[in-house]
Amino acid sequence: MSKTSIAQPAKKAKKTQELNAVSPVANVIMHIAFILICMTVLVPLWVIVVASLTPEMELIEEGYKFYAKSLTPEAYGFLFREGSIIFTAYKNTIIATLVGMALSVVSISLYAYPLSRKEFRFRRFFTFVSFFTMLFNAGVVPFYFVSRQILKIDNSLFALFLPLSFSAYWVIVMRTFYTSNVPDGVIESARIDGASEWRTFIQIVLPLAKPGLATVALFSAIGIWNNFFNCMLLVDTAEHYNLQYMIYSTLSNARFLSEMATQVSSLGETIARLPTNAFRMAMAGVTMGPIILAYPFFQKYFVSGITLGAIKG
Amino acid sequence: MAKKKALNIKQRGSFRADLAYLSMLLPGLAFMFCFNYLPMPAIIMAFKRYGLAPVPKDFPIQNPFIYSLFVENPWVGLQNFQFLIRTPSMGDYVRNTVGYNLIFMVVGTVVAVAIAIGVNELRNRLAAKFYHTVIFLPYFLSWIIASYVVYAFLSTNGIMNNLLVSFGGATVDWYRTPRYWPFILIFANVWKHSGYSSILYLSTLTGFDQEVYESAAIDGATKWQQIRYITVPLLTPMIVLLQILAVGRIFGSEFDMFYSLPNGSGPLAKVTTTIDVFVYNALRTGAQLGLPSAASFFQAVVGFVLVLTTNFIVRRFDADMALF
Repeated sequence: MSKTSIAQPAKKAKKTQELNAVSPVANVIMHIAFILICMTVLVPLWVIVVASLTPEMELIEEGYKFYAKSLTPEAYGFLFREGSIIFTAYKNTIIATLVGMALSVVSISLYAYPLSRKEFRFRRFFTFVSFFTMLFNAGVVPFYFVSRQILKIDNSLFALFLPLSFSAYWVIVMRTFYTSNVPDGVIESARIDGASEWRTFIQIVLPLAKPGLATVALFSAIGIWNNFFNCMLLVDTAEHYNLQYMIYSTLSNARFLSEMATQVSSLGETIARLPTNAFRMAMAGVTMGPIILAYPFFQKYFVSGITLGAIKG
Repeated sequence: MAKKKALNIKQRGSFRADLAYLSMLLPGLAFMFCFNYLPMPAIIMAFKRYGLAPVPKDFPIQNPFIYSLFVENPWVGLQNFQFLIRTPSMGDYVRNTVGYNLIFMVVGTVVAVAIAIGVNELRNRLAAKFYHTVIFLPYFLSWIIASYVVYAFLSTNGIMNNLLVSFGGATVDWYRTPRYWPFILIFANVWKHSGYSSILYLSTLTGFDQEVYESAAIDGATKWQQIRYITVPLLTPMIVLLQILAVGRIFGSEFDMFYSLPNGSGPLAKVTTTIDVFVYNALRTGAQLGLPSAASFFQAVVGFVLVLTTNFIVRRFDADMALF
């Protein structure tokens, strides 16, 4: 073996790589294992979509299944017809996500830039100010009281995005991104040309940092879209609910309803007309829909964001 | 030469540049002030008997919360903590919190490392990419969506019961049977997070020089030996780093998961309530604020001490692996 590779150095790499690949049996076993793992992701999503399209009577009689005898968009129609609260929740979530995402990108990209500049005199101090928030967190109770009693962001859309906009973790990621993707020379030459720090940042640094900004924007958007806790903690008014909290309360309430329905037969009739089961799954469908549709297109930013965060800066 | 020039410019613009940089920090500082630093003094609530009192006219800050907490409310020492310890089932909550975290750390790490190695070793790169993309997806779905999935599978007319019946078994009332829930929670947690952590491990693997594997193969190392003696040691710094972070959070928990998956079912509380869930429930019931503030204080301080300690230990062991 070593003889041939010395004799044919050009083929060496490929040969050893082939030799070094896993055996065909192991390869097949790995494929089977991965397919099974992927099923645990894809099958549940499939079940939700099928259930949301199944006629309510079929769901009540036969329960949740992997397939439906007939399909109907009734639950989705019901969602749009009856669902003024759903619409409000959807609107709130979209507004909170967009505004919060914009605030994240602005505040994080701005905070991280001075921390990446060696000539900034207070660099270490302000790095510590942000890093400390990752080490020590005052906890839920102080956050609850400060938000409600001092900042007074409760029962408003602010509660849905302001506490989630800034993150020291993404500051560190963004700082790493600047130091590794924006060459020092570019910034130096801009300064020699007489550009101010703000001008250098906006016209030179930001365009070079676009992939990093996209990553921050996406993670922040997902975080706000999926947030449930802050809404539950700080919002009591139904007109300010976000989607996650809305569908959470519907799941617990509808479960309560269907339990009632089995106990009280007279109530069962009214419940049957309301497509509770399919309706719930349709709400889950519209809540996760945008994320699943967007996910394949942005996956590389997600991966790069996580990878960047792993680099110690 | 260039260095001298840069130095000159730095000196010339130094004060003005620092001012500009400081102005860039302002939005971030505002956020951290409001949501990180402002709540910190309020942790003294754990040592006080809290009650909202009206602010006298001559008090400089016209805010009932600030006035009550810092002026009016009496110190009670460790009384809140004593009540906390005497809370019935507090032991269960602590056991659930720490126990689940330890299991998640072990099972989660094993699964994520296995996925990373598997994705790295698969011959068909396209398939590997597809698998990994799918496994990563649950990370982006909320726990509320996950609780819908769990409901569709485990409710009385859910998929699991339908399958049990079609195989001739009896139905199980999953939401009232606590003994299955540790497994359900572990499965759900690994399901949601293994994609994320495997990316961290995979990024370490793909950045690594393949020649080491090649020369190991030439020397006759089997694939298994390569994984055992090259890949796993290579991943160890990342594994250690993630465990440091996890140990720091050992008294915390993923609230959304523990709160939403059991769907508020009373019989499951014993095996699904963590300290976080207890704090939330106590806070919203509002009867005795001393309990949640004491529990919250405990989590914050112990978490902080734990991160510093584990980092110190790791630094003594291998400075490169430490977080800071």
